[in-house]
Amino acid sequence: MSYLTKQKWLLVNSALAIALILSLVLCAAIGAEHISLAQIWHSPSLDNPEAVIFFRIRLPRVLLAVIVGGALGVAGAALQALLHNPLACPHLIGVSGGASLCGILALVSTSVLASHTPEFVRLSFVSVAAFAGAIGTTVLIYRLALVHGRLQPYALLLTGVVFNAFCSALIMLVNSLVDFYQSHAILFWLMGSLATHDYVTVGLTSLYVLIGVTWLIAQGRRLNLLSLGEEGALQLGVDIETLRRGIFLAASLLVGAIVAVSGMIGFVGLIVPHLLRLVFGADHRLLLPASLFGGALFLVWADTLARTVASPSELPVGVVTAMCGGPFFLYLLRKEGRKVFVQ
Amino acid sequence: MRARAVLALFLLLTSCTPSEPKKGVSSRRIVSLAPSVTETLFAIGAQAEIIGICTFCDFPREVEKIDRVGSYSAPNVETIIAKRPDVVIGVPPNNPEAIATLRQLGIRVVIVEVDTIEQIRAAIRTIAQEAGRVAQGESLLSEMDTRMAAIRARLEGAPQRRVLMVVGQEPLIAVGSGIFLNELITQAHGINIAADANQPWTRFSLEVAVAKQPEVIIDGSMGSEENDKSEYLGIWKSFPTIPAVRDGRVHGTRSYTVLRPGPRLPDGFEEIARLIHPERFQESHE
Repeated sequence: MSYLTKQKWLLVNSALAIALILSLVLCAAIGAEHISLAQIWHSPSLDNPEAVIFFRIRLPRVLLAVIVGGALGVAGAALQALLHNPLACPHLIGVSGGASLCGILALVSTSVLASHTPEFVRLSFVSVAAFAGAIGTTVLIYRLALVHGRLQPYALLLTGVVFNAFCSALIMLVNSLVDFYQSHAILFWLMGSLATHDYVTVGLTSLYVLIGVTWLIAQGRRLNLLSLGEEGALQLGVDIETLRRGIFLAASLLVGAIVAVSGMIGFVGLIVPHLLRLVFGADHRLLLPASLFGGALFLVWADTLARTVASPSELPVGVVTAMCGGPFFLYLLRKEGRKVFVQ
Repeated sequence: MRARAVLALFLLLTSCTPSEPKKGVSSRRIVSLAPSVTETLFAIGAQAEIIGICTFCDFPREVEKIDRVGSYSAPNVETIIAKRPDVVIGVPPNNPEAIATLRQLGIRVVIVEVDTIEQIRAAIRTIAQEAGRVAQGESLLSEMDTRMAAIRARLEGAPQRRVLMVVGQEPLIAVGSGIFLNELITQAHGINIAADANQPWTRFSLEVAVAKQPEVIIDGSMGSEENDKSEYLGIWKSFPTIPAVRDGRVHGTRSYTVLRPGPRLPDGFEEIARLIHPERFQESHE
């Protein structure tokens, strides 16, 4: 592994950022319907159906993919360092299960309440409930994983896995009690979707994600020391306990918000950090920002495929991330595997 | 899975002798595992012979008095066996394992397909035959045909309108093709803009929905028109350029139960036709 220089940091991150901006423009231009950007430029008014498609459907969706992908990438990289576990991914720490369960309970009850609630409440109710569930779960898991007042990675991991399994059992219970149409709605919500037509959601989510991501990226140096092992980090003056708690809370709150707006989109937070680590090395000062751009890039393209390959139907984006990411990752692991195991 | 097979074998060997399907007309013992089957049995006057129904069966009101034998997706094998039915009638979404177990135990199980109008007609014939009421089945079919024809006559010369029919907004789940609802839209002088998705229910692209400019949107996720006057439009509110939204032709369905693949097909047809061409139905409604 080469030593991280300022030049390398700048080069890698600016290259990824430029690739992301280009992809943003390109992916917003691609879709199930052919639209001409030139024409939208000439008449950007919302009387023009092409402009409606571009501004109200594609652009918010591509932007949401950037935010969700970036947040999942950074959260995944940080959790892999925190838990000393290559299997760690944002959906492993229990918070996704709690968020999904609460979101689904809200989904089921909104159709019961359907005609008695004002429109605004109905639109955001599921997301707000999922986010509240995420916060509740974060607090709960944090309390459960404290062993003698310390946050232990193995306890955190186990608590998360068990809590997720428990939540999925409860989700199945709800699913078996509701009717045919509701159980379909639950299934679709669980599969995850980036479809949005609402810039307020996009704006609020990006603001929130920006705060969490910035804090996590700023912990890069300390995460490097943490991965040297507990003793090494202590000797170098890292307050391990505070760092662990901070990372866990930041990652959980990040993932909770992401699940609330987009459901469970898998694979991004697992493979993007691994992939980048294979290519650019394990230095978290570089890995964390690179995972931000990498996660965003991956999800923007995955969602573009999801929108277009089966047109006029759409595929669930989680299926695309798994189908593209899985085999490629296995190939890379096979080819570059020695690097992973040496580290 | 294996345990269930072993148990089934055990039951088969120890307890019951398989019941022979009776050929006689009178007093069949019928279990229905789908709302459309139950409705058909009632429509041909076989209600007294129904000894069990699924938890989704809710029409007509008299079904309240009949015992439930589990849900649509998970019929309770034990309850069904205990009822000693002559025949169990279901539809393909019924749990195949439960069906296989019932068959292994020697119970006659008839599965009817009800995706297309042709299949719905065939299903009514099959159910009538199983209930020993072939004549009633035929007269039900001809009554349905008459009503469908009367609605078609009302629509004669009506313009073709582009229609989008959905059951969910986020994500958008639309009626595609290969399902009777698509046929009903077509017969009601509608052009289903999601038909080329080539699957019965499709996760439809919102931008294609906007680009194809539907003139009528039938949205099952919005609740019924009669109960819900809040004019909830959900995502459609954001797309005022869609003709259906611009002209106030986004409708909730009165009730999903009307849109069942059974004897109430003409009701469903009238519902859809009325939503697509309200001007043809003004005198008979409101």
